Amino acid sequence: MSSPQQFSFVARNSLALSVLVFMGAALVLPWVGAGPISLARVLRHEAPDYDILVQLRISRTLLALVAGGALSLAGALFQAMLRDALATPYTLGISAGASLGAVATIAAGWETFFGIPVTWIGALAGAFSVLVLVIGGSFKRRQISAFSLLLTGIAINSVCAAFIIILSSFAGMSRSFSIARWLIGSIDATSYSSLGVLAAVVFITSGFILSQARSWNLLAVGERWAASRGVRVGGLLGRGYVAGSVLVAGAIALTGPIGFVGLIVPHLVRSRISPDHRVLMPCVFFFGGALLAFCDALGRIVMPPAEIPAGAVLALIGGPYLVWVIRQRIPVEEI
Amino acid sequence: MSYLLEIEGVGFSYGGRSVLHSATFRAGEGEFLALLGMNGAGKSTLLDIVSGFRRPETGSVAIAGRNQRLWTLREMSQQVSHLPQSIHSDLPFTAEQLVGMGRYPHTDRWFESDEDHRFIQQAMQRTRCWAQRHRLFGSLSGGERQRVLLAACLAQNASTLLLDEPSTFLDIEHQLHCFTLLREEARMGKLCVAVTHDLNLALTYCTRLIVLADGVVAHDIPTSQVHSDADKGWLALFSSRLSIGSTPAGTPWIWYR
Repeated sequence: MSSPQQFSFVARNSLALSVLVFMGAALVLPWVGAGPISLARVLRHEAPDYDILVQLRISRTLLALVAGGALSLAGALFQAMLRDALATPYTLGISAGASLGAVATIAAGWETFFGIPVTWIGALAGAFSVLVLVIGGSFKRRQISAFSLLLTGIAINSVCAAFIIILSSFAGMSRSFSIARWLIGSIDATSYSSLGVLAAVVFITSGFILSQARSWNLLAVGERWAASRGVRVGGLLGRGYVAGSVLVAGAIALTGPIGFVGLIVPHLVRSRISPDHRVLMPCVFFFGGALLAFCDALGRIVMPPAEIPAGAVLALIGGPYLVWVIRQRIPVEEI
Repeated sequence: MSYLLEIEGVGFSYGGRSVLHSATFRAGEGEFLALLGMNGAGKSTLLDIVSGFRRPETGSVAIAGRNQRLWTLREMSQQVSHLPQSIHSDLPFTAEQLVGMGRYPHTDRWFESDEDHRFIQQAMQRTRCWAQRHRLFGSLSGGERQRVLLAACLAQNASTLLLDEPSTFLDIEHQLHCFTLLREEARMGKLCVAVTHDLNLALTYCTRLIVLADGVVAHDIPTSQVHSDADKGWLALFSSRLSIGSTPAGTPWIWYR
């Protein structure tokens, strides 16, 4: 990217590629699974192929795409706001708060409330309680300090983990099993109505986040850097934390805490494509969604009929890969 | 004469510790001010207040003839650019991307226009860091970083440039280049205010010395009158071991005893 033309060329190509991968995942991955599905039978609406594809595989793939995109974008957002490549909703404790809220509703045995899955309400309540605690705890002279934010996040993570262990030991056998499974982070078939609500929330929130990409660039350099270039830092940070928490809580309520995608996807896009949030954020959303959907599909086929949860697949592939990528980096690039 | 910057009785304290008591001065187009003073005299704090990062507890600041509080942050950032001492970011921006951010206050376009790219290139060539434009900021040396930050400041094309120790990490050649560049900017009608500890750089390039001490502007001397000014009290503020003499060219020069 030696000239402006070439830069927008790279940007446009990476964006187009990420959209293509996302679309491709949506079209191809529902066909991947333990049993083969016949297109002819699906077209004739014949059981069981039609039901497996439409009721299970498609809704599950779409959920993975939307949740993966939301969690990755939230990761990129928190990294920009805290100027720290290791910040994620996970490290901040927001993810843990959402988990505790969701686990509490599972342990209590509540399922739906006026048609809305109760884990959602629990996750949102948990995420926002943590947000209030974390931000309240690290306000210093009307400024938020990134360092104390991360420290508070670590403390909240362990407190929430303790409560989750207590809750699941008091819950009965079957409930504690579903808590354990939820905690690994799995993509399960979900109703199209909750999928629709999640998609709407994620697209509106992501749209807001993306529209502020120039400000995230400035904020990623420094708060004064941003303020001296026309950004009202306090207000933007507040809106950013709320938007990020909505994304995380919304996705986690349906999938369980999948923290890794928010760390690995922004890291890869930043080092391979661009750290410029105008390109980074849309790419992160589309690649993140595709990655989670891919991990979910992989988990369906490696050991049929058993399924490996997407969160576990992601950790098994992503962990070693991330370590390898970091080791490949030339020391001078280390910032 | 209209002033770009009017500081009236500005006071500020950190907790109970008063840093600025009542600082007052005015400056207009074409001036290059050296903001001098001992460590902790409130130089950076004063720049912060003018930049809008901190609110003065007493007094007022007017930018281009209008009270600072009446400007929106965005309008302010078109008028005033601030060069920080350093930036701390974990995220890998290239030099060119950082300089490009100076253009943000001027447009709502998603990507930079050709005009923006001309500003970026010009600023980076003037500060001699165009060759490093694709390097990651974190991989640059201290001096290279400082030049990139200065280019970011120039690319913002504001009428007032506030520079917090612009020459600290530079080698002598680049220190001279940096101050020459700022003097050029001033001659083109801008106002430059630079915090520095290098009195000889200030005497050689700046048009005026503003010396902060005890929370007020203790001395305000045009550099052209440093020689004729009988009161050498401002020198003693820095150290008792300073003397002022002349270079062979007749310009003032400070030497150490």
